[in-house]
Amino acid sequence: MTWRYRFVFLGLVCLFLLVVARLFYWQVVKAQELSLLGQQQYGTTTALVPERGKIETSDGFPLAANRISYLVFANPKEITNKDAVATVLASTLQLDIASVSANLALDRFWVPIASGVDIKTKQKLEQMNLPGIGFDNQYQRFYPEASMAAQLLGFVGKDSAGDDKGYFGLEGFYDRLLRGKEGLAVEVNDAFGRPILAEMSQSSGETDGANLILSIDRSIQFLVEQKLKDGVEQYGAASGMVGIMDPKTGAILAMAAYPNFDPRDYQDYSENLYRNPFISDLYEPGSTFKPLVMSAAMDAKLVTPDTKCNICVGPVSVGGYQLETWDNKYFPNTNMVDVIQHSDNTGMVFVAQKLGVDGMINYLGKFGIGDYTGIDLQGEVSSALKPKNEWYAVDLSTTGFGQGISVTPIELLDATAVIANGGVRMEPHVVAAVQDADGNTTQIQPKILDTPINADTAKVMTEIMVNAVDKGEASWARLKGYRIAGKTGTASIPVSGHYDPNQTIASFVGFAPADNPKFAILVILNRPTASIYGADTAAPIFFDITKSLLGYYGIPPEGN
Amino acid sequence: MQKPILLIGILALIVFGLSIVRIYISNQVATSGVELGQIQQQIDAYKMQNMLLSEDLYTKSSLTNIAQEASEEGFVEQKTDFVLNGQAPVAYKQ
Repeated sequence: MTWRYRFVFLGLVCLFLLVVARLFYWQVVKAQELSLLGQQQYGTTTALVPERGKIETSDGFPLAANRISYLVFANPKEITNKDAVATVLASTLQLDIASVSANLALDRFWVPIASGVDIKTKQKLEQMNLPGIGFDNQYQRFYPEASMAAQLLGFVGKDSAGDDKGYFGLEGFYDRLLRGKEGLAVEVNDAFGRPILAEMSQSSGETDGANLILSIDRSIQFLVEQKLKDGVEQYGAASGMVGIMDPKTGAILAMAAYPNFDPRDYQDYSENLYRNPFISDLYEPGSTFKPLVMSAAMDAKLVTPDTKCNICVGPVSVGGYQLETWDNKYFPNTNMVDVIQHSDNTGMVFVAQKLGVDGMINYLGKFGIGDYTGIDLQGEVSSALKPKNEWYAVDLSTTGFGQGISVTPIELLDATAVIANGGVRMEPHVVAAVQDADGNTTQIQPKILDTPINADTAKVMTEIMVNAVDKGEASWARLKGYRIAGKTGTASIPVSGHYDPNQTIASFVGFAPADNPKFAILVILNRPTASIYGADTAAPIFFDITKSLLGYYGIPPEGN
Repeated sequence: MQKPILLIGILALIVFGLSIVRIYISNQVATSGVELGQIQQQIDAYKMQNMLLSEDLYTKSSLTNIAQEASEEGFVEQKTDFVLNGQAPVAYKQ
């Protein structure tokens, strides 16, 4: 009896151990897989894709919005006639049939077929009722004004994980704000797949991206882009750019570059066009730099408008180099007003020498030269000023007339706006306000960066620049009846250790109306061929834009 | 000794009553998931319509489009501005 009892007992123990082992297998080893299967039976989890924030101009019109598009996917296990489905998909979505067939041949539950599919194509596919084909919503960037302000906006591409990411300009700088936060939605279904209102059904975490409201005026931007394009073509320039800023707040009203690109099809354009040259290109500013050096010397009380230049009788030799005027004309005993009017290089050598290296470095630093302006755009560059012990005598002299020093256009525009703003330097900015997903708006307040010169100096310098417009080499293009302050620039281009004798960067910087400036403008043409001079090329574009802006703002002429 | 029994009895009744109410409400609400799903679908459809209409509106009201249509209609940019000034004093004219 004993052995029978033991045999049965052992058998029961073995059976019990088998049950325990099986339970361990299902509940521990296969736990995760079964849990997922269970979840698939009673509910679905969907990723909630946030809508990327819009970028709007000051009138609330979007330069970058979103359009709905679809990702077409397939479950190859549900498709029986794969060849027929592949043929239909390839012809409807205009895809290569081989790649569609290859995807459908995969042993998977989910394969992407095409993304960015528009609603009409989606509806067409839906009507065909193809087995195993599904659609996921996607957002795609949409640009109602096409390529307007392309370099300012940047574009949205993909990161290494395949997610949307902003590159360059505003899309790059404000990417984290614009992209929002992805969330999850869980929906519990009954056996027939109908949704059940249950505690588990919830959505969480999703936040749409914030909208950016720019200081950019759409009408001005449109106008400037047209006039710049016409100017670049008319004067045969390689490229061109224009920036317009409110000198009192630092708000950028327009910023254009030509040629540009279409952010919808950015991949079809050269990568060189992605950068915004107004903040990313360094150049020697030439004579447009003279008002800064002159106002520095006047602010330091080293010269006055009546100070006579005692070295302006002919070419000046400095450190073994001979420095000449642009037209080889010399004006002995010329005063500082005429130095700017004639754009006299020897006169500016005189001023720079008066200022000295210490004074030059100190004032240029206050004007923001050699430093980032802090504009809210991705890709700003800066070339730091040389340390004091690396300045040779000739460096000081050439800096006086804007050669041998590199700046970005935004640096020069911001520095010139100091003169327009009574000596106060503002931080340039493109975004005026940020609106979060709940509609709360945060205004971005103007920021004072420095006060390089006092208000009196700024006033005197303004008069000198008004005189330069009225009597200087660009006076033929000026607007009669308006007091406009400005300065031409014809900068030589450094190439392999020397200056290119045939090509220049032509520019014009100024502001209007001179007594109560509404805007400061910098126009730059790269290598114009119709004429190498700023007075013949950039100046007419400047005055053409200024004329339109004065009309746009309703500012009448002062005289008859 | 009677008070705790009474209290326990009342509590038990409340628990029982609330359980019944919960079962009733759960039964009533559980099937409204279908309606909720339909409402969600409607919201999605309206959102999509709104987005498509916005897209159309933005495209048609863009300056780029307006300028192109104006050009096709034969409108041209006025090159000269007219400025209305007050009449100058007679003394200026002498």
